Amino acid sequence: MLADSLILLEHSPVYTNGRRNHGALSADEIARLQKLGCDYVETNRGGEITFHGPGQLVAYPNMYLKDHFLGTKCYVKGLEHTIVESCARLGIDADIVDGFPGVWVSQTQKVAALGTHVQKYVTSHGFALNCTTDMKWFSEIVPCGLQGKSATSLARILAKQGRADVDASTNAVLPTVIDSFKAVFGCDVLPLEMVSPETYDTIKQLVQ
Amino acid sequence: MALRILSKSFFAQRLLATQKTSVGFRFYATKKYTSSHEWIEINKDIATIGITNYAQNALGDVVYVEVPEVGARVEFDETVGVVESVKSTSDIYTPLTGEITAANKSVVANTKLINKSPEADGWLFKVKFENQEEVDALLDEADYKKLTEEDD
Repeated sequence: MLADSLILLEHSPVYTNGRRNHGALSADEIARLQKLGCDYVETNRGGEITFHGPGQLVAYPNMYLKDHFLGTKCYVKGLEHTIVESCARLGIDADIVDGFPGVWVSQTQKVAALGTHVQKYVTSHGFALNCTTDMKWFSEIVPCGLQGKSATSLARILAKQGRADVDASTNAVLPTVIDSFKAVFGCDVLPLEMVSPETYDTIKQLVQ
Repeated sequence: MALRILSKSFFAQRLLATQKTSVGFRFYATKKYTSSHEWIEINKDIATIGITNYAQNALGDVVYVEVPEVGARVEFDETVGVVESVKSTSDIYTPLTGEITAANKSVVANTKLINKSPEADGWLFKVKFENQEEVDALLDEADYKKLTEEDD
């Protein structure tokens, strides 16, 4: 029986775009982004263009929503609340803004982006939390197509709070995100190597 | 003056007659449902398909829609479209095999129609279906209502 899974990882630098923007970027614009040392990939998820790369914790929950009695709207709220809860546990005040999916630390600054795909109640894609991400990558695009808004990171927020000594790396934040996910979705999260050692080994080989 | 009043009432009678006809026409169309929250209105061999009010409520505000190409031949359960809400794309499947005879361009231009009028103006596409067995396997209104009550 296939269990729900939650994959947490960091990507090599890549700009990804959502379903509604397929073909939206010109060849010149794509070449410009690639010259920066990035990939450009069009996906089937919702949302618009965003960046993934080192220092950013990306979460891919692969869940059968029917088992959790969730519709799309509630599922997305669950992801947002997971991030809000993670931030709270780090002493950061973050919130959800109606009409603007993602997690915000001010009217204009987003600390996490999200975009998902649901096929027959099965979710893919997920969210991306900026931990120590280099913000320069975001200045090359209009993140999520939102003019006048910008991306920020946990490290930047902590520095502003005078808490630059707090470890905001993806590895340090990961356990907090898992605990918050468990709390919000009311489920247990077990390490893959415990549940299926073979699958774990396969993934480890692929990642290397 | 008398002539104008006469033509007004004549027009009103014509309008009433048209309305009566269209109400009568719709009365004979059959409405069915799927467990993935699509509605299907069958009229002879053409099925009009959209998502239910239950589905649009679960999705949230729809911001992007893709509908199938007119003339395309589609198989049962094939992905034929997409709706996006809250930065989530949800695939739309055809419950019937056949040829796409119409696709609602208005809904692509004005995605709010799906939230405002999911089971009327927010229709997505029409299929000239081939397989009566597929139609017979669809849920009737009572079964669909039971399903949505269980889900809640």
